[in-house]
Amino acid sequence: MRAPTRAVRPDRAAVTLRVLGVTALVGVAATVWLGLFVTPPDEFMGNLVRLLYVHPPMAWVAFLAYGVASLASLLYLWPRTRAERFDRLAGASAEVGVVFTGLTLVSGSIWGRPTWGVWWVWDPLLTTTALLFVLYLGYLALRRVPGEFDVRARRSAIGALIAFIDVPIVYLSVEWWRSLHQAPTVLNPTTHKTYVHGSMAWTLLLGFVSFTLVYIWLATHRYRLAELQDLEDTEGLEVALAERRAEAVAG
Amino acid sequence: MNGYVEAGYVVILGTLGTYGLTLLARERAARRRVGAASIEASTAAGAGAPAKADILAPPGDASAVKHGAVEQAGPGSTS
Repeated sequence: MRAPTRAVRPDRAAVTLRVLGVTALVGVAATVWLGLFVTPPDEFMGNLVRLLYVHPPMAWVAFLAYGVASLASLLYLWPRTRAERFDRLAGASAEVGVVFTGLTLVSGSIWGRPTWGVWWVWDPLLTTTALLFVLYLGYLALRRVPGEFDVRARRSAIGALIAFIDVPIVYLSVEWWRSLHQAPTVLNPTTHKTYVHGSMAWTLLLGFVSFTLVYIWLATHRYRLAELQDLEDTEGLEVALAERRAEAVAG
Repeated sequence: MNGYVEAGYVVILGTLGTYGLTLLARERAARRRVGAASIEASTAAGAGAPAKADILAPPGDASAVKHGAVEQAGPGSTS
């Protein structure tokens, strides 16, 4: 019989995760406070600039999440590093990535309505981001298709890598096509200039760091949930086997 | 300030908060279920200490249990 597992008893990792969660929460609270009440309105955008302290971090975290999911998928596909934990990590990271992509689209839309006059335009950046959202929703659906563990994990890993092709397309779409969406303004790769300064720059930076911590916290909890669900399946099987064993002895 | 700004922050913080709390609740529920299953499996296993063959044998097949015939008989075996 399996001994009580690491996931069942509280351990140092759980404490670390709790500290991470509190740090992320404080960081997000500070970002919100600085973004809404401390930083000045923008010369051109006015108060709408305050949405930009949270919108780009959402997009960044989504990219990061998909990057982690792709790396984990690659590690699963490579026979030398193949392990269940990489499949779980890919699934957990991609799910969190989908949440952040959805928030990127919604917060961008809320910003676009007063700025552009419309909730949505079929702009290259917006369209490729929407495609990214749908691709990873498809990936999550693919993970739920029943099958033997290894077969399911391998096809999911391939799916994650295919979906990731869209990430650089999203990022470079503002450079490649005439886009309504503004080009990168924090660190513009073409002009090599920074267009954000002072308290605005620090608030934005804090937003990036805080939401990255939120991502790590969410992805870790999602990973632990997947671990427990796998364990639950195994335990369920063991219970059934033990019952059969007891019946056999009694019979 | 601006209705759009507040709406954006509410949507982001609300969604992330709800998602995070849901994950915590699901994790806690799964941990409870796994713990219960562990105890259940231990209790069931405590009823006897049979060989692996017993697990594979149909409940009514006492002879197979006694002699471990199921474990020894591989696919295609005529025994």
